[in-house]
Amino acid sequence: MDTPVIDIHNVSKIYNPDTIPVPAVNNVHLHFERGEFTALVGPSGSGKTTLLNIIGGLDAPSEGQVIINGTDITRLSANQLIRFRLHNIGFVFQSYNLIPVLTARENVEFILLLQGVPKARRDKRVHDLMASVGLGDKMDVRPAQLSGGQQQRVAVSRALASKPQFILADEPTANLDSKAATNLLDIMAKLNQEEEMTFIFSTHDARVIERARRVITLEDGRVASDTGAVKV
Amino acid sequence: MLFSIAWRNLWRHRTRSLAIIASVALGVWAGAFIVSLYYGMGNERVRIAIEEEVSHLQIHHPKFREDFEAVWNFKLDRLNDALQRTPGVKAWSLRTTAQGMLANAAGSNGVQINGVNPAAEITTRNFDHFIIAGVFFDPEKKNQVLVGKKLANKMKLAPGAKIVLTFLDAEQNIQSGAFRICGIYETSNAPLDERNVYVGQTELNELLGMQGCGTEAAILMHGENEIAGALAFLQKELPDLEVESWRTISPETDLIMSSLDISSFIIIVIIVLALAFGIINTMLMAVLERTREIGMLMSIGMTKIRLFGMVVLETVLLTMIGCPIGFGFAWTLNEWLSKSGIDLSVIAGNLMKDFGYGAIIYPDLPGFKVSQIVLTVFVTALLASVFPAWKALSLNPVEAIKR
Ligand SMILES: Nc1ncnc2c1ncn2[C@@H]1O[C@H](COP(=O)(O)OP(=O)(O)O)[C@@H](O)[C@H]1O
Ligand SMILES: [Mg+2]
Repeated sequence: MDTPVIDIHNVSKIYNPDTIPVPAVNNVHLHFERGEFTALVGPSGSGKTTLLNIIGGLDAPSEGQVIINGTDITRLSANQLIRFRLHNIGFVFQSYNLIPVLTARENVEFILLLQGVPKARRDKRVHDLMASVGLGDKMDVRPAQLSGGQQQRVAVSRALASKPQFILADEPTANLDSKAATNLLDIMAKLNQEEEMTFIFSTHDARVIERARRVITLEDGRVASDTGAVKV
Repeated sequence: MLFSIAWRNLWRHRTRSLAIIASVALGVWAGAFIVSLYYGMGNERVRIAIEEEVSHLQIHHPKFREDFEAVWNFKLDRLNDALQRTPGVKAWSLRTTAQGMLANAAGSNGVQINGVNPAAEITTRNFDHFIIAGVFFDPEKKNQVLVGKKLANKMKLAPGAKIVLTFLDAEQNIQSGAFRICGIYETSNAPLDERNVYVGQTELNELLGMQGCGTEAAILMHGENEIAGALAFLQKELPDLEVESWRTISPETDLIMSSLDISSFIIIVIIVLALAFGIINTMLMAVLERTREIGMLMSIGMTKIRLFGMVVLETVLLTMIGCPIGFGFAWTLNEWLSKSGIDLSVIAGNLMKDFGYGAIIYPDLPGFKVSQIVLTVFVTALLASVFPAWKALSLNPVEAIKR
C-alpha cells in the first residue's frame, strides 16, 4: 500500500505566542505509510513530543494540517478528536500511564469497552494481546505490582486493543533498563511484522534507533534528516 | 466498567472516602433528628392544646370572643341536651367565664375567672392532675378558688389564703366575692396559668346573676377524626352559637404545625449546604490529584461525557453509602426516643413551660420528611459533583500528562 496513512503538511507549533513565543515545531512536512517502524530522534527540546502530540490530536498545531486517512484532524472538535483517537490511534506514554485501579486485563479491556465491543470478542482480544506481549500469566494483577517493562507491555497491548491505524509512542523505553527496553522493542517489532501495525516512536536511545527502519531526525523543531519510508 | 472504576477509585483514599460517607451520614442523621424533634415538639404542643387547654371543640356566643363578657351566654340545659345527642363526644365541660381582678393585701392582678363544674374538668382535661399544692376543690367547702403556680408565686398565695375577686356582672355592675384558695395548679402553659383562676360555676353564676347559664363549652372527642362530624352537627343544632375546632380557637398552635414544615426544611437546607461544601472540596481534591490519569483517559479515547459521568458517579456512590447509614442511626434513635422521650427541662429548665410545651418531647419522624431529606441530600450531592466533574473536563490532556 503506497497511500500515506498520515500526511503532515507545513505544520508549525509556537507555544505562548502572546508572551514569550517558543517555536517548538517549525514547518514540518512528513508522510507516514502503513506498516512503518519509525523512530523520531533528536536532542531533548527538539520538538519530538510536540510533534507526536500534534499527530495524535492531543495538541493543536499553530499552523498546517494533519491529514489522517483523508481526515484533517486539526478541524475536529475536542470531543470528535477524543472519538477519533479512540478508533484510530494507539498511545504509549513514557511513564506507562495505566489506570491504577484496574488490573492489567481490565486496562486493555477498557479501550474495547469504550468502543462498545461485545464481551466475548473483548475477552478473546484481551487474551490474545496479553499473550502476544508475554503477560498471559499477569492478567489479573494491578499495575503497581508489575515491573516498569511489564507495565509498558500492558500499555502496548492497550494501544493495540482498539485496532488503531497506528501507534504513537513517546520515549517508550526511557524509563526501562536495557533488558526490558530490548524486550519491548522485540515485541513492537513482532507486532509490526505480524499485524502490519504502524509504529512511530520518539527516542534518543542509540540501541532503539538501531532497530528502526526509518529514522527522522529533528533539530530545533525542523526535520534535519529523514532516511525515508521503508515498507515491511 | 465505568462503575467499577468509579467504585475502586473511592477506595484509593479510604480515609477520605470514609470521611465523606461519614459526613453524608451525619448530615442525614442530624437533619432527621432535628426534624423529628421539631415534629415531636409540634405534636406535643397540639396534644397540650387539646388535652390541657382548649379540647377538640368549643362553643361560645358569636360575640363572646370580642370582649369575653359574661352577657354573651347560653342556657346550660340546652347545651347539655345538644351534646348528649352529638356523635363521637367523649366528655364536655360547660363553664362561665368573667374578666376581673384578683386582689389580696399584697396587691392585685388581672385574671380570667372560670366558673367550672369540677367533675367535668376532670373528665375533659384531668384537671386534678395539675394540682401541685392543696386540693382540687373540696366538696365540703364553699367559695374555693384554684390559682396557677405562676400567679401564686407572684402574689405569694398559698392554700388557705383569702383573696377577693372583682368582676362585672351581666348588667355591667361591679361585683366582688371573697374566696379561699383551695389549691395551686400547674399546666404546661405558664402564661395561661398566670391568667386563669377557677371557682365553682354555681357560685360564680350567683354573683353574676345568671343562674343556669354558661359562656363556654369545651368538648373532648373520641378522636381527631370525629371533629368534623360533631362540628357540623352542633352548628346545625345551635345555629345562634359559634362552634369552633381547636385549629381556629388556638390558631397559634395550628400555625406552629404549618411552620414546622418550613422551618425543618430550612434546617435541612443548611445542613445540606455544609455537606455540599465538603463534597465539592473532597471531590475537587480527588480530581486534581488525578490530573495525569484523567489526561491519559482523554488521550486514549474517554469522552468528556463519560469522564463527567465517572466523577458524578463517584460522588453518588459515596452518597448512596452514607444515606442509609445516616438513616439507620436516625431510625434507631427515633425508635428509642419516640418511646422514652427527651427531657428538655434538663437543658431548658422552665423555658419550655413558658412557651406552652411539656418538658418531655417525643420525637416523631414522618415518612414524607424522610423522603424529603433523602431527595435533598441526593440532589445536593449531584449538584456538588458538577463543579469537580467540570474541572476534570477542563483539563488539557497534554498538560495533564506532562505533570
Ligand atoms: N507547554 C509548553 N509551553 C511552552 N514551551 C513548551 C511547552 N512544551 C514544550 N515546550 C518547548 O517546546 C520545545 C520542544 O519541546 P518537546 O516537544 O518536549 O521536545 P522533546 O520532546 O524533543 O524533548 C522545547 O523548547 C520546550 O521547552
Ligand atoms: Mg519529549
